[in-house]
Amino acid sequence: MGKYSIGEFEEVILLTVAVLYENAYGISIKEDIEKRLGRKVSVGAMRTALSRLEKKGFLKSEFGEASAVRGGKRKRYFKVTPHGKKALEKVMEDRSKLWEAIPSMAFDFKFA
Amino acid sequence: MNREKRNFSEWLLEQLCREEYLEEILGDLGEYKEELSSKPKWQRKVLYWFHVVNFLKPWSLKKFEGSQKLNQYGMFKNYFKTSLRSIKSNGLFSSINIVGLAISMSVGILMILLLSELNSFDDFHEDKENIYRVTSNKFMYGQELDMGSASYFVGDEVSRRVPGIESSVIIREGVSADIGVDAGLIHLSGLYSTPDFFEVFSFKLKQGNPETILDGPNKIVLTSSIAMKLFGTEEVIGRTLDFQSTGGWQTRQINAVVAGVMEDPPKNSHLQFESIVSMDTYDQPATSGTGWDANYRTDPQDFQGNYAYLKLKDSTSPKDVESSMAEIVESYNAAQDHAVTHLLQPMDTFVTSDKYENDLGPRFSQSQLNVMLVLALVVLLSACFNYTNLSLARWLRRSKEIGIRKVSGARRGQVFTQFIVEAVMLSLLALVVGIGIFLLIRPGFLNMPNPASSGHSMFSLDIGLRQVLYFIAFTFGIGLVAGFMPAYFLSKLKSTVIFSDASKVKVFAGLNFRKVLSVLQFALSIGLIMCAIMVNKQYQFALNYDIGLDTENIVNVKIKGDYQELLENEYAKLSDVVEMSTSMMTMGTGSAELAMIQPEDKSSQSIIFWNGIDHRYIEMHNVELLAGQGFLNPLVNGQDREQIILNEHALEALNLGSPEEAIGKFVHMRGFWRAKLQVVGVAKNFVNTSINTLGQGEIMMNKGFGFVQRVHSETSGLLGVKFRGNDLVGLMRELEAGFKLHDPEHNFEAEFYSDEIADTYAAQKTAFTLISFLAFLAISISVLGLLGMAVFTTESRMKEISVRKVLGAGIKQLMFVLSKSFIWMILVSGAIAIPSAYYVVDKELLASYNYKVDIGLVEFLSGFVIVLFIGVSSIIWQIRKAAVQNPADLLRNE
Repeated sequence: MGKYSIGEFEEVILLTVAVLYENAYGISIKEDIEKRLGRKVSVGAMRTALSRLEKKGFLKSEFGEASAVRGGKRKRYFKVTPHGKKALEKVMEDRSKLWEAIPSMAFDFKFA
Repeated sequence: MNREKRNFSEWLLEQLCREEYLEEILGDLGEYKEELSSKPKWQRKVLYWFHVVNFLKPWSLKKFEGSQKLNQYGMFKNYFKTSLRSIKSNGLFSSINIVGLAISMSVGILMILLLSELNSFDDFHEDKENIYRVTSNKFMYGQELDMGSASYFVGDEVSRRVPGIESSVIIREGVSADIGVDAGLIHLSGLYSTPDFFEVFSFKLKQGNPETILDGPNKIVLTSSIAMKLFGTEEVIGRTLDFQSTGGWQTRQINAVVAGVMEDPPKNSHLQFESIVSMDTYDQPATSGTGWDANYRTDPQDFQGNYAYLKLKDSTSPKDVESSMAEIVESYNAAQDHAVTHLLQPMDTFVTSDKYENDLGPRFSQSQLNVMLVLALVVLLSACFNYTNLSLARWLRRSKEIGIRKVSGARRGQVFTQFIVEAVMLSLLALVVGIGIFLLIRPGFLNMPNPASSGHSMFSLDIGLRQVLYFIAFTFGIGLVAGFMPAYFLSKLKSTVIFSDASKVKVFAGLNFRKVLSVLQFALSIGLIMCAIMVNKQYQFALNYDIGLDTENIVNVKIKGDYQELLENEYAKLSDVVEMSTSMMTMGTGSAELAMIQPEDKSSQSIIFWNGIDHRYIEMHNVELLAGQGFLNPLVNGQDREQIILNEHALEALNLGSPEEAIGKFVHMRGFWRAKLQVVGVAKNFVNTSINTLGQGEIMMNKGFGFVQRVHSETSGLLGVKFRGNDLVGLMRELEAGFKLHDPEHNFEAEFYSDEIADTYAAQKTAFTLISFLAFLAISISVLGLLGMAVFTTESRMKEISVRKVLGAGIKQLMFVLSKSFIWMILVSGAIAIPSAYYVVDKELLASYNYKVDIGLVEFLSGFVIVLFIGVSSIIWQIRKAAVQNPADLLRNE
């Protein structure tokens, strides 16, 4: 497991970066999570998660072109690295393994 | 990076945030700003700053130098704790400081509330920034006058002819009536207005169609509170309201239909009214009285009580409208000696401008505000000086603590912060006490007559959340100002010096600074006391000034109908009533009518003020006649006025020669009536205005004045009743009973003549009350400071005192030695304060007065003597305590 260790929030961020593909930067990530998942995201938590993911090598970032809307400031775009993709797959795989292992009776709440 | 466009928030972030994130953060901020642009302005600001602050998080902040961590909570917690301890352990000094600061802060709080309420005046109008009032500049009464009013003509023409005006409304004063309902008489006040009232202003209409509500005659809109009073319900649309309105020198019958109900005008509206009557109603001639002109809509001269408001489109420049107005009155001006000019006054200056005469709504002029601000600042500074002084004086006590801190690695900045935090905490404590004091003085302030409007009732002085935030910011400011000097000096101390030889630091730079502060503080107190005494003397002087009329023991009763004779007969029965006479107006209070007057050959002309009086007036009021006699007989209704009594100024203006020569000559007089009058008497000059004020006062000063005859039993006027005896309450009750007998409809209005004169000087009274209150505060604060210093000095010189005593010094000598430096300081401050206060009073405060009181030696030295006395007695009290102690007790423990 160790190599692909990833938290729940980090996973959400990583997935969102992947969803947004070429348009993943600070605000868009935050807003996308808020819109899609309906949960509040604090800028600080997101920043910390992003920088941690980058440190782990799941993400890489680069500055894009300056845009007028942002007062001439560049955006820092994030992209999922192959390593990151593996990490996500690993999480998925782990989950589905677990799902498959659940006996059918376990979720049968009718008689409980 | 775009350096020019960098604003404060960006600068702040640049200072605080890590470089690697900065660009992103600023970019995000830019994006948020874009998103917010659709929100209303205040939300935009708040949310924008929320985002700015939101970026200041541990992840984004720069690492601070060295081993220091961003997290300084621990440090602040420590400051907080030591501050509390130090405040607690020095009970006397802390309480002196807290009380002093609290007193001054209560004044500061008052000023903050005043300012914020003044700034929010008329804020509820949408497009407040686009609303303007048409002002007029006209040559009148012998001088140029700026007026807040304008003719109907110009308001109407400009709105029709000039493009770029979104809407406009013309308002006329003069709805005033007593309406009888079951519960008694209800007074109704109001304005006439053209139809677009609710388009220009954002008053909330509860019922009624805003489009047509004031179209056509005989329509009235009521505020909900007056509707409740009159009808007991708000569902009053379509009900009729018939009343006699007596306003603007005329009486008119109004039979109106209620067309709408609106919410009461907010307190911060410059327009205050209970009803709006459609302007078309005003087209019908008045039932009686003067001042109504059928051509009022087209007469460019008709300025009185008529106001035009324009709401411009965003793209329209007020300058363009002003030049269009100049074109409108051009043809009219061509035929006049003095041109009329019209300008636009933006809404946010309606209340604070003191330029305009004859304007509508309450006023609190900028100059008045400035005086108060300066005085409040003086008191605040005085309290800050106390803190600075006492903390500096006690430096020795804290020096060990500072030494330890520095040895354990505190930097100068940290010691500095510690002392600032202490000062701020003390100020916060003082703020709590200060709010309490403020609540005590608030009613007093609100009830004080305001020279420019009916009272300070234009303010509510309520404390809301926003105001509390202002207070806290203000308190931090005070803490910073008060704590800066001590923090600066104390943090400068070197630990080696503190521990090795404290006596070396004795020659402390703060010492002289301290003395300068004390001297300044006392100078301010002395100056304020002097100002208060001199303003009061001027006030008393004005009250007792011989205006040339006898006003003692006279009650003026307002006549409101056709019953003068009946009333007189009724009053004649009262045992306390000596004499009676009637007049149109009260003399000596600044009210008078205006007319043109010419000698018989019409060789010259002049403006004169006049009053109508009856044949008994001159005698009853002891008006001194230089020649001729008063009127002999009453003027009966239908008879023409034939006689006039002029004063000396009028003779001069008309070249009628000496008083004796003037008798028997004829003059032509033209007011709203014309007559050829024969001069039958010449009166000595008298004062018919507030003798103190400039402005209107100056206009009426030294102008000719004439008495003509008031028509006997006219339906309006004043009945002056001269009385004897001291039972004033009983007299008033009897007068009222007599009045009610003949006029059950109207309110009984009567005032003692001397009270009416006093009302004329309400402005001076207010100035006196304010200045003396602040002087009182300033002196209490400085005496507190002095007391603190005396306590401290004696405490720290206890050993010296004991040794001196042992060596044989007497109590007197000791007192002299100890109090020498204080008395010296008070003397120096007196030397500074007396001339400067004299200058301020003479050149500023009383400069605008026509008749100035002489400033004598007593007033000159009063402030100084008071401060000297209070100061010396508080020092002596302290020093005596020290001087009578047994020296053995003190020296034994060495």
